[in-house]
Amino acid sequence: MYYKEWIKTRWYLLLMFLITSGFAGYSLLRLHRVAALNGIDHAWIVMLTHDVVFVDLLKFVPLVAGLLLALVQFVPEMYHKCLKLTLHLPVSHLTVITQMLGFGVVAFITCSILNFLLLWSYMHHVLAFELWSRCLLTALPWYLGGLAAYLLGAWTILEPAWGRRVFNLLVSLLVMKIYFISDAPASYNSFLPALSVFTLALLTLSWISVARFKEGKE
Amino acid sequence: MRKLANFVLGFILLVLVVWQFPWVINFLSTPDSHSTFALYSTAADDFISNKMDENKKLHRIGTDGKEYTEAETDSLLPCFYMRQLVADGRFPDSIQGEAITPHEVQQTNVMIRLNPRDINGNNIQLYPLLESMPKRVDLEMPDDVFRITSKGVEFIKMETNEVKQAKSERFTEALREKGFQFPSLWISGDPSVRKAYDEGYLMLDAKHQLFHFKRCVGRPFVRTFAVPDSIILTHVFAIEPSAHQFRGLAVDTENRLYVLTPDYQLVLTGVKQFQPKTDRLMIIGNKFDWTVTIVDAHGVHYSALDASDYHLIRQMDISFENSSISGLHFTSRDDKFCYPRF
Repeated sequence: MYYKEWIKTRWYLLLMFLITSGFAGYSLLRLHRVAALNGIDHAWIVMLTHDVVFVDLLKFVPLVAGLLLALVQFVPEMYHKCLKLTLHLPVSHLTVITQMLGFGVVAFITCSILNFLLLWSYMHHVLAFELWSRCLLTALPWYLGGLAAYLLGAWTILEPAWGRRVFNLLVSLLVMKIYFISDAPASYNSFLPALSVFTLALLTLSWISVARFKEGKE
Repeated sequence: MRKLANFVLGFILLVLVVWQFPWVINFLSTPDSHSTFALYSTAADDFISNKMDENKKLHRIGTDGKEYTEAETDSLLPCFYMRQLVADGRFPDSIQGEAITPHEVQQTNVMIRLNPRDINGNNIQLYPLLESMPKRVDLEMPDDVFRITSKGVEFIKMETNEVKQAKSERFTEALREKGFQFPSLWISGDPSVRKAYDEGYLMLDAKHQLFHFKRCVGRPFVRTFAVPDSIILTHVFAIEPSAHQFRGLAVDTENRLYVLTPDYQLVLTGVKQFQPKTDRLMIIGNKFDWTVTIVDAHGVHYSALDASDYHLIRQMDISFENSSISGLHFTSRDDKFCYPRF
């Protein structure tokens, strides 16, 4: 199952890693440019006095990446009717979809960790702990938003009936608002543990879509 | 598993309804205009409020309902409308029997705003300590910032991101000598170079003692404030007014507001209650009186204080009813946090 998902998504995963890392790298380049032009002191001072975090460019990148991952992974399943075949395997259909989603979740989290490592590797050299941790904690809800976009995207794509699909889409849009409602840096800190659990709980929604698919709802 | 999924979906729908429904209702309803701009006039011994009528025409009204013309209001509030009076050639030679010039008014006028949003947030605990007695007239940003830990002060050189050991020990020792107990509970200062002078930071130590901490000719300057044992301060706000009339404001556990004088004393003001975490405060003051406006959940509270000793002259309260529907929300105008609350 995991190998099948790997074959299906490997080129996109490579592209996702390159593009998200590119944006993370560009954020670091902006910090580096400020440091090169005005000295790293200036970067510290604007972060302290103007709440600049230098990673704001990343805001919607994980969202798009997560959504595209859901499209790449599940649209072919629905379009080529592969899901119907997959669900005929001698394994519980919910186990099958959980494994498929688990692959996507692990792939997305791996990509996110690599992005964070890239940001940290430069920032911790030139910025104090208080500053680089603030940048990373500001970006964390956006990456959770990317994971939510993937899981909600899968829930909507796997839904067999168009009417219900529109309903799923509306609910998904409202849920996604939670991840982008505050612009203040590091404002989600106290909410992050609960938001992480909530995000992972979104995985269960696809069980409803697959169960409905299995029941032959259209 | 399907039951669990249905439960999650039900929970999400419940959250969305409790969150979005009141939001839509509140968004569509016309908000009430809560705050009225009012200033105390020593000449009239009354508050003069600016009120807009249905035709968007501005009226200036006293608490007894007496309406003043624009020119009358300028004369009754000569320190606030000083520029207009000077432009009209109507600025008086003296106010309250005291000779005064427009320049003196400009120097002694005070404008302070405190918003709960400024303190309710994950603010960065790093502070630049400016040189308070620079060789040149202009203030300059230092090449380091400090943090206060449980062990002492740590200065970090920004260029190398390394702790300056010798300077950290020197400043830590200076604070310890004055009885500072690490870590600090509260630090307030304005690390900006766009101001007339720098007075460093006001800090509350672990035992709620209040200290003034600044850098003078590269050396640490530490002074303690004379705070009686019966007063436990919780919030301090460093303010650098043009005429050096005071050093800042402080609030204690009983929500009483104090003015910190230049000779390191606390003067209790006549303001009844001020809770920095929830209330908005605005002070518009001059050499003779201060108008303190506090907006809380129940209304707007205006206090007129005598600028010489901050005793209460007059008070006016305007209450309002919160007509918005309460529901789940994630952000608030009173803080910079994002988490679900009702």
